[in-house]
Amino acid sequence: MTIRHRSVLRTVAAVAAGLVALAACGGPAPDRGGDGAVSGEISLLTPIFEGADGAAVLEEQLAAFKQQYPDVTVKPDYTSYGKLNEKLTTSIASGQPYDVMLMGAGWIPPFASKGVLADLGQDPASLGSRFFERAVDAGVHEGKVYALPIMMDTRIGIYRKDLFAQAGITEPPKNFAEMREYGKRLTQRAPDGTLQVAGLDVLGIDPRQAFLTMLWAAGGELFAPDGSPAFNSPAGVNALQTMTDVIQVDRSEDVGWTVPNSPTGNVMAQGRTAMMVGHHHFWTQIQEEAPDMIAQDKLGFFVIQDERPAMFQGGTLATVAAQSKHPAAAKALAGFLASDGPALAANQQRGNIPALKSLESSEFVQQNKAIQFAMQNFDAAHSEGGVPQWLDIRDKFKPAIESAMLGQKSPQQALDDLAAEATAALAGR
Amino acid sequence: MSLESAVVQPAPASGASGPGRVGGAPRPGRVVLHAVLVVLSLLMVAPFVWMVLTSLKSHAEVMSYPPTILPSVWQWVNYPDALEFAPFGTYFRNSLVIAVGHTVINVVLAAMAGYALARLPFRGRSLLLMLVLAAMMIPTFTKIVPQYLLAKTMPFFGGNDFLGRGGSGWLDSWWALIVPGALTPLAIFLFRQFYLSLPRELEEAARLDGLGEFGIFARVMTPLMKPAIATVALITFENSWNNFVWPLIVTRSEELRVIQVGLAAFQQTERTLWEYLMAGTVLATVPMIVLFLFTQRYFVQGFATAGIK
Repeated sequence: MTIRHRSVLRTVAAVAAGLVALAACGGPAPDRGGDGAVSGEISLLTPIFEGADGAAVLEEQLAAFKQQYPDVTVKPDYTSYGKLNEKLTTSIASGQPYDVMLMGAGWIPPFASKGVLADLGQDPASLGSRFFERAVDAGVHEGKVYALPIMMDTRIGIYRKDLFAQAGITEPPKNFAEMREYGKRLTQRAPDGTLQVAGLDVLGIDPRQAFLTMLWAAGGELFAPDGSPAFNSPAGVNALQTMTDVIQVDRSEDVGWTVPNSPTGNVMAQGRTAMMVGHHHFWTQIQEEAPDMIAQDKLGFFVIQDERPAMFQGGTLATVAAQSKHPAAAKALAGFLASDGPALAANQQRGNIPALKSLESSEFVQQNKAIQFAMQNFDAAHSEGGVPQWLDIRDKFKPAIESAMLGQKSPQQALDDLAAEATAALAGR
Repeated sequence: MSLESAVVQPAPASGASGPGRVGGAPRPGRVVLHAVLVVLSLLMVAPFVWMVLTSLKSHAEVMSYPPTILPSVWQWVNYPDALEFAPFGTYFRNSLVIAVGHTVINVVLAAMAGYALARLPFRGRSLLLMLVLAAMMIPTFTKIVPQYLLAKTMPFFGGNDFLGRGGSGWLDSWWALIVPGALTPLAIFLFRQFYLSLPRELEEAARLDGLGEFGIFARVMTPLMKPAIATVALITFENSWNNFVWPLIVTRSEELRVIQVGLAAFQQTERTLWEYLMAGTVLATVPMIVLFLFTQRYFVQGFATAGIK
């Protein structure tokens, strides 16, 4: 085969022309910044502020931020918690993470340990004077503050006061034994055995979140101080055994009676459940679906307890990328989003719990008894996670818990198998 | 009766005197078959009907127990309300541009590639075909990060230098939304199968008449490929229209978001706005239904003959 010089030249010329054309499509390389000035264009990834209403709230806050920092331009990117991890990991893998990233409680150690997040240079103790201490803890990894809390959410005990009164129960349960006993008394079945009212609903929220709430109440921990799995301790087994017994022994609920986030409505508002391990957001749903229940004061809350009182705590925190080209601007935005005005607006939009103690007296909090209750009991709040591999481990909880509740495995076996999987994940296998 | 006459019987057209009737009455077997098909059809269409009915209920009714089948009050306002929840006009436009772009590129390039693999003898053709088949077997999710890195390091785009460094490449641009995934191995394979089924005499006659290879491809063979074109076009449009993860991760600007990403906004962490989600989904489904109605004859024919040779 002979090489024709003319055709080679033609090819080279075409490629060169193509490259010039392509170059025209691109813009100038972004400046590196990072000189300490609060300026530049920064990106913000947010799993909250959903929909047109949420975007309007954020744009209002960003306008206020612009007034404070006129040299900073913020480009928001909206996503949902369901797809946040994909957005984060691909942007990080490409070496171009967002300058400011809003993340969930439990997400900070995995990303901080990989060097993705910037140390915000804050003192946890001094933050504790402004924010709820448990909320601050969710943003701390190895003693350094990597995230500032904006909003929290909790899993607590929720009950119908009217159904309790009908059953002659005067106050919420103080331990697992009472929970089960009350559940049995509150359960109503038709003569043919069909469930009418579940006495105790342990299926209404994500199984992992329900189990962890029970685990902490039983006195257990997710991980030991050395980072090894501890959720298969006797306390963990007690928690899962209790959940399993509610279904299989007490028959206070049937599998499938409730499904989280399903279009079957709010079981409390429908009078189909008397007591549950639930999300504080139930209050907001009942405000929309059955406001009479709130007007008649039929809804009550309690901190689930056995060995100790415990609430599951989730939340949204503001982090800054370690690789941000404009770190001063990014830190300013993270601090701004966690401050009084923007945090209140964000919490109002989501119906969540402000992490700032100062917002406890706000009108928004005063109108929501579930949020008031959670804020009054924040000392009992626990965050999930704590190990860098948490995001890999957490998705393994649901099938393990379900296998026990369906009777496929004993609670001990289900948790031991889960612990083995978690150990493998921790070892990087 | 000869064996030939016993075996090779032309299928009579269905009608009053067809095999479905004996003396004017339908055969029991045919009645059972139709009954089964009707039941299966109802099962298939039930989710769609449920979706439409849910889209017309109030939020309180969607959440009520026991659930209702028909809306007590038909909430047509859910449709404009859902469209106001997010900039769905922009999302629709973007999805349409991407889906049409993918469809046109895939049909044109895959037809050329399929023709080459089917009709042109060249060294390495079998190996190339194997590579195309192998590419069909790579799971989508394993390709996302490499594709993302390729898009991000595209030289001379988004501030990148000639080595693809320094900028954002194709990220958050129409390039990233349209170019990756525009040409699919499935389409190449389908076209190859169709081109193989065409008689060689056509090609030879055209060649004797002095037509060049591209002329044979474009003017003789491809006009006979309507079922293949309809099949590939429909599959490509549908996949592109329904794509969610790739458009989500490569775009940062709201102006470049697509319909499926927009629909996800109705599924929030604490609750799902089912009535709006269903209204948005109904609207998102309409283009697919319209496209299928127009192409179903060719589509069915295309799949029926895709395995030839």
